Amino acid sequence: MMSLLSMTSPAAPMSVLQNALIVGAILFTLGIVGILARRNLIVMFLSAELMLQGISVSLVAWSRYHGDYGGHVLVIFILAVAACEAAVALVFVLQAFGRTGRLDASAWQSLRESNLSWVVDRELPESDTVPPLWPTLAPAGVLPKADEDEPLQRKHV
Amino acid sequence: MNPLSFFSAADPLSAVGPLSAVGLLLAAAVPAGAASLWLLLPRGRKNRIAGWLGLALGGLSLAGFVATGRRLGGVGEEAVFLTVSLVAVVSAAATILTRSPVYCAIWFALSLAGVAGVLLLLGAQFLGVATIVVYAGAILVMFLFVLMLAQPTGMASYDRVSSEPLLSAVAGAVLLGLLTLAIGRLSAGPASAPTTDAPTDGALASDSLATDQVARLGAELFGRHLVAVEAVGTLLLVALIGAIAVVSRGEATAADADRARQRTAVP
Repeated sequence: MMSLLSMTSPAAPMSVLQNALIVGAILFTLGIVGILARRNLIVMFLSAELMLQGISVSLVAWSRYHGDYGGHVLVIFILAVAACEAAVALVFVLQAFGRTGRLDASAWQSLRESNLSWVVDRELPESDTVPPLWPTLAPAGVLPKADEDEPLQRKHV
Repeated sequence: MNPLSFFSAADPLSAVGPLSAVGLLLAAAVPAGAASLWLLLPRGRKNRIAGWLGLALGGLSLAGFVATGRRLGGVGEEAVFLTVSLVAVVSAAATILTRSPVYCAIWFALSLAGVAGVLLLLGAQFLGVATIVVYAGAILVMFLFVLMLAQPTGMASYDRVSSEPLLSAVAGAVLLGLLTLAIGRLSAGPASAPTTDAPTDGALASDSLATDQVARLGAELFGRHLVAVEAVGTLLLVALIGAIAVVSRGEATAADADRARQRTAVP
């Protein structure tokens, strides 16, 4: 079990390195596609975190290959910097949301250079007309008589 | 080394040349993945046929990547590595493809679990656990908190469209193709020499599940990289203060000014 979890078989190093690097590359690429394509600011930041995950996997793979702790140390720094980035970025996202009322990256395209043409949505899709079907409780017992004078719900607890 | 493996030929050009069977497989897997992303990215109203086609292409692409992976020397190792890396990659794809941002965050948490599994397999127990604790426990909850705070009722229109899905998918395909090409050529270089070296001071032991692995990592972190640790601590403090400053500057009102004036007026 120990050797299964730690891949200590003698022929492993290069195979382990390449497989892990491929996984890291796929994660990084997915993150970059998400940042380029999605328009929700928070989803864009999630994609950035995805890219950081890919880099972490690659660094740890190299660290295992070379047999030292440099990659591990760098990943710890990545964790710390990601925490900082998330804190500061979410503050700015909240401020942007407060100004425009949307989490849309395209709401800020007036910040671009003036000689660039604006992105105009040709047709914004109408919202899904069919509301989701939530589960309901089966009716049980008798509906109690409501007092007309008493409001059904208190304003404050 | 292994006749089944794609990357082990001695000549780098023949190893990843477009004429080798596995090279062809990889050359098909990358565009298939890009086409799958292009079909599945949110573009207006849902298209059922495009969705199924995208899923099928994505599955084929993943199968291609799995087929080109190197053999690890044991069925158990391969099965465990395949499971955790598939969890990581599939849920990462779902992170960027799901329309609802809340579901995006949940898929991202699952992807973090997969990444933590990969890190564990690579012998980084502390980092695997730290990824779960710091990312899924703290950062992701912060994202979800902001989402719940800022998300308007119903799904917003900008969650149902993407900006330039085709160009993004093509860019991703080019990047992934170059990366896999570079990774495939690794074995030809002289980089395989360090594996035969004995572990140096502070290096990983041959058994990476050694009992003092975390202690050694701590010694490395607080010995060689002490200045960097201090710098990161300062960075965390600056980020904290900066976030508070930005928030509180936005909230300053006339009442605050009145209160400040009163405070200065009373000696």
